[in-house]
Amino acid sequence: SSATSKPNSAAVHPLENSWTFWFDNPQAKSKQAAWGSSIRPIYTFSTVEEFWSIYNNIHHPSKLAVGADFHCFKHKIEPKWEDPICANGGKWTVQYQKGKSDTSWLYTLLAMIGEQFDHGDEICGAVVNVRNRAEKISIWTKNAANEAAQVSIGKQWKEFLDYNETIGFIFHDDAKKHDRGAKNKYVV
Amino acid sequence: EKKYSRDFLLKFAERCSELPEGFEITADIAEALMGSNIGSHVMVRDAH
Repeated sequence: SSATSKPNSAAVHPLENSWTFWFDNPQAKSKQAAWGSSIRPIYTFSTVEEFWSIYNNIHHPSKLAVGADFHCFKHKIEPKWEDPICANGGKWTVQYQKGKSDTSWLYTLLAMIGEQFDHGDEICGAVVNVRNRAEKISIWTKNAANEAAQVSIGKQWKEFLDYNETIGFIFHDDAKKHDRGAKNKYVV
Repeated sequence: EKKYSRDFLLKFAERCSELPEGFEITADIAEALMGSNIGSHVMVRDAH
């Protein structure tokens, strides 16, 4: 009957964590004096179904404007160095040619929300940065000094993405002090 | 712990095409993030 073909709201699939999408709009960003002040939360989701409802209706990295930053972070963790949970953390980064990161971005999101990382508790979230010559995806973690956990996350992430290049882990502290001169603390 | 494999999650992709009820977005972000096809979800109020 038609009644049985309707989606059953009781059958939604809850996620282990709630997650928030954040967007930093390049047009707004250029008008803001303080860095990061244009970043805004878009939507918080806590089920598989809600994730797809948003994901299916927003641009994927290849269609975002140059300069855009799109984040997916655990609910109540802000994608900023200043956030107390991120402050002692760091990030792994993979890099793609312009327009080539869509699949890896999706696989990164699915691995995070599906809790596929052995050290998933260490993860704050992920961000894709769309730039002129490249699209970069980073996973932010909480305790950069915990080498075993970071290395595990980096190795698993490369497997999920089928990424063959060496990737590096940078402490947020080093990025703050040295900007692009910050050196990798771990590589996998 | 609720763990879902990639293949399992991908099965739901095509079943969830509508934006969630109550989803709202300001016009400036809607344009940059979603293009034009956003219907009634854009907030009327000014983003600033």
